[in-house]
Amino acid sequence: MRMLPPRRHARYGAIKKGDAMRRQLTAVVSFAFMATSSAVLAHHSFAMFDQENPIELDGVVHEFKFTSPHSFIILAVKQQDGSIQLWSLEGGAPSALVRDGWSSKTLKPGDELKLTIEPLRSGAPGGSWSVSKTKLKDGQPILVSQ
Amino acid sequence: MPVRSSIGAVVLATVIVTTIAAARAHDETKYPDWSGQWLRTGGIQWDPTKPIGRGQQAPLTPEYQAIFEASLADQALGGAGNDPRYACLPVGMPRLMSVIFPMEFIFTAKTTYILFENNMPRRIYTDGRSWPDHPEAAFAGYSIGKWVDADADGRYDMLEVETRHMKGPRTYEGSGLPLHKDNQTIVKERIYLDKTNSDILYDEITTIDHALTRPWTVTKKFRREHNPSWIENDCSEDNHHLAIGKEHYFLSTDGHLMPAKKGQAPPDLRYFNQSKK
Repeated sequence: MRMLPPRRHARYGAIKKGDAMRRQLTAVVSFAFMATSSAVLAHHSFAMFDQENPIELDGVVHEFKFTSPHSFIILAVKQQDGSIQLWSLEGGAPSALVRDGWSSKTLKPGDELKLTIEPLRSGAPGGSWSVSKTKLKDGQPILVSQ
Repeated sequence: MPVRSSIGAVVLATVIVTTIAAARAHDETKYPDWSGQWLRTGGIQWDPTKPIGRGQQAPLTPEYQAIFEASLADQALGGAGNDPRYACLPVGMPRLMSVIFPMEFIFTAKTTYILFENNMPRRIYTDGRSWPDHPEAAFAGYSIGKWVDADADGRYDMLEVETRHMKGPRTYEGSGLPLHKDNQTIVKERIYLDKTNSDILYDEITTIDHALTRPWTVTKKFRREHNPSWIENDCSEDNHHLAIGKEHYFLSTDGHLMPAKKGQAPPDLRYFNQSKK
């Protein structure tokens, strides 16, 4: 598991110990702000993804495409039979991600992730990903710079 | 020779005066400070005060309400509905002014330009011209603007714009909320800074369109970003959404077609040699 460098103003977790109420409030505010980030930041409708029935995916980053019009995480997901299936996950535009502190180097091949995605309605291995619902495999948030 | 010297002096003086006059034609002190990067303050829906889609309560004619409902139904199944933007078609006016990604204003004496991070720029002619007889249609249309000094303090504070001669298809937002296919849309705008906060900019946009039962006015609000970043944003770079015929498909990681809808048929291959192997 690779930990990213700490940043000055972490969006997740950099809350003074002992201030439980403020920690909870910050988490709630952050979640509320991030909850609709993928759909809000798209230049087109994301209705093609099943927002009513999200699914959990664990996998390894095969490629992180920091490209226009939308970023893509190509995720290698191990199937029950041991084979690997590559999922094509569409996310926010790079210009939106940089405002959340992301860069082309935030994810690298080999990073192990746990995501909640909105899958393609067809059932094909594709869907949408969002910053707020993407974590490292151990559940820790992805720290980014502000 | 005194006469030739006098003529030369007059010519030189004329050139100098003309140059100074040209420089004064664009007196920057007469224009408001709209410099820098502007970001939208709301979501991607057209009327920022209402939810996207049906929540917009758009004053559509029955015919175009039916078209809109069909678009929503198609998107609910995984299709793209009416929204042409998924295949990188320009959004055009008035949707450009949703400013999904940042914009910037450039003022010259005769034209105001609006640069968008992810769209072709708008060109608003402020030189007092009349409407051309037969201009080529464009998604952004043809815009004529007039600077107004509404508070009579000697400095312009509002830009009034009218846009005509658009082409389509165009929608107001990603839900596929449609404008009329006759492309006779007229868009009128009043753009101005907040009087108490110069980092807030408003655009009151009135759309007159045959898909509407009445003119539809919304007010967009933008904020000035003091720590801007400009990222190259070209829709065609790595778009995974494809329009083939009337169907929407999704590209897999290895560049093959995937269905976007459950049970979606593959595309029509009538032009391919489909002899059995």
